[in-house]
Amino acid sequence: MPNPSQVPPPLTHQPGIVRDAVDRTRVLADQVELLYRQSPVGIAVTVVVGFVVMWELNSARERDLIFMWGALTLMVAIGRAFLAFAYHNAADRDSRPDVWLRRFAIGALATGVNWGLAGAVFFPAHTDEQQVFLAFILAGMAAGGLPIFSAVWWVFAIYAASVVLPFLAVILTYGSRLFYEIAALVPVFLAVNIAVAYRLNRVFVSAYRLRVSYGKLTDDYTLMNQRLERQLIELEEARMQVESSGRKLALFAERAPIAVIELSADGRIQQINREAENLFGYSQGELAGTSASIRDLVHADQHEEFDGRWKRLIEERESLDGFRMRNPRRDGVSLVCEWTVTPLVNAEGTVLSVIAQGRNITQQLEAERLKQEFTSTLSHELRTPLTSIIGSLQLINSGMLGDLNKDQTELTEVAERNGIRLLDLINDILDIEKVESGKLTLFPETIALDELVREALKLNQGFAERYKVKLVAHEPLPALQVHADRKRLLQVMTNLLSNAAKFSPADGEVEVEMREKGGDVLVTVSDRGSGIPENFRARIFGRFAQADSTDTRAKGGTGLGLAICKRMIELMEGTIGFANREGGGTTFWFELPKHVNTSKE
Amino acid sequence: MPASELNRIFYAEDDEDIQRIVRMSLERIGKMTVQVESDPLKAIDGMIEFKPELVMLDWMMPGMDGPTLLKAMRQRPETASYPVVFITAKASMKEHEELAALGAAGIISKPFSPKDLPNQLREIWRNLP
Repeated sequence: MPNPSQVPPPLTHQPGIVRDAVDRTRVLADQVELLYRQSPVGIAVTVVVGFVVMWELNSARERDLIFMWGALTLMVAIGRAFLAFAYHNAADRDSRPDVWLRRFAIGALATGVNWGLAGAVFFPAHTDEQQVFLAFILAGMAAGGLPIFSAVWWVFAIYAASVVLPFLAVILTYGSRLFYEIAALVPVFLAVNIAVAYRLNRVFVSAYRLRVSYGKLTDDYTLMNQRLERQLIELEEARMQVESSGRKLALFAERAPIAVIELSADGRIQQINREAENLFGYSQGELAGTSASIRDLVHADQHEEFDGRWKRLIEERESLDGFRMRNPRRDGVSLVCEWTVTPLVNAEGTVLSVIAQGRNITQQLEAERLKQEFTSTLSHELRTPLTSIIGSLQLINSGMLGDLNKDQTELTEVAERNGIRLLDLINDILDIEKVESGKLTLFPETIALDELVREALKLNQGFAERYKVKLVAHEPLPALQVHADRKRLLQVMTNLLSNAAKFSPADGEVEVEMREKGGDVLVTVSDRGSGIPENFRARIFGRFAQADSTDTRAKGGTGLGLAICKRMIELMEGTIGFANREGGGTTFWFELPKHVNTSKE
Repeated sequence: MPASELNRIFYAEDDEDIQRIVRMSLERIGKMTVQVESDPLKAIDGMIEFKPELVMLDWMMPGMDGPTLLKAMRQRPETASYPVVFITAKASMKEHEELAALGAAGIISKPFSPKDLPNQLREIWRNLP
């Protein structure tokens, strides 16, 4: 893992102008550095030659002048030495080479002027030999500046000019023919020297540019190398991650309790997991990588359907969910499986492979079938004897067959009532089974709800009288329509009314109200019973829900009524609930969407 | 609507207890004349002999079920036009639709109320075309 602080800066492309400016500064800095590096040699030569000149000219009468010049030479030398020292320790010598060059040029100018002064002041006052000596020295000093100052040609130019030009002026003043000839040659020498310096300077600059470019190249290379190394590390990490997630994925597939099959786009089996092996009775080796196709695992009757689905899957990249197929096992037995089939598509839209995940639902379907058969049998086999029992008792209780005594009548009525209760229980169990298996079919029609409420009151009045309770509607009920299943809605009303009657005190009233609420119609059934115990409220709409067992015995009922009501009202897109009633008792209510008659009748 | 009051009923039903209750209900309460037959295979001959105004059939009977018997009746000119009411413990909507499609005049669910049975039949009778 690379330390973040060591991460090299990213390579950014620098626009040409900025890059040139940086280069120029760097080349100049190198030039200036060379000037300063050679500066000690120049200073030493100046001091040594200065002493020789003083020694040679000392015998003459202008000793004060000589010493003054010597002191000046020394001062300039010391000044330049200080400057060189300062440059050596300067922090900004690379960033501001132009400033250091300017300072150096002043030192060079001072040196040049000092020598020019020597030529101008000492030349006229001396003997011929000494004049020749001086001319030789000055020529030497001017030429000697070439290697010292030529790193920047114009520094050499001002140095050489300041050495030579005052001397030139003095020679011209003395007017002999030899002097004129010398004076004519001096500018030529000067020009040649400067030209050479200029050429040297160009070569120098080119060399430095080359060096700087090379350095840059090396830097870039180092940077690239670091980046490459980092990328290699990242690549390795990514590879390890991919490998580990690949292992995880393989583990998921391998240990999954569903069959997982990887297929090629033409349906050939690439890989199957253990559950698929168990399910179909073939091993991975027998199917994967052979000519075996998923089609071989589809029952022949379904080949046509399967081909159509597969074609759409491949052509439209449309995955299949909950697709049921009969799949023959190795031993020929057909299983029913539910498949989820997903094409794996790359960025270009090519189908790389197809993943099929299948769940064996054979047993589940068999269980459902058995349950249905059982329910149907229960329905028929229990109803038939109950028909005889209830029918017989009703005939006796109708009085058409002659009168019974009081005790006999009481007992036959008990028998009839309990026969009906048993029938209710069977019907409720069948209903809840139908609702919960999603098999309850509603037959919705447009219903005048106010009329249905009145009908429900009439139908249940007899039952309520058994508890000495009156069912009362708050008339006039508003004339509102709903879209619902008449029979089932009556069943809900019957449930709510009979519950309310059962739990009302004797001589009480069950009040029924109906009104519009938003886009819904609200029906309420209110009693003056003891209310619903706190611990029972949460599960009142659950199955076999009854407040306590003693209540069941006292009031009768299956405990399924409200569960059925809730599911039926929900199937009719309504809601059902209950609330405490002010002054005691409970109000049960349901809401159904109001039916708005759009056709003009 | 038929001109006369419903009077003669032929009933095919294998359960003797239910036979007895239906017979009592229709004779005592409905004041009708009832002929019952336990064997569905003998039912058509019974009908031809009895000449009922309306036939009641059970669905589940050994030997031949109600719907098959109805189809067989439709094949015989003597019995083809009898209105048929099914009395069945099968309660699902699908099964009721199946019977209506066969041309049943009405369906009465078991358990039925023997007190109301004569009136239920008369209601169906009155609504016949």
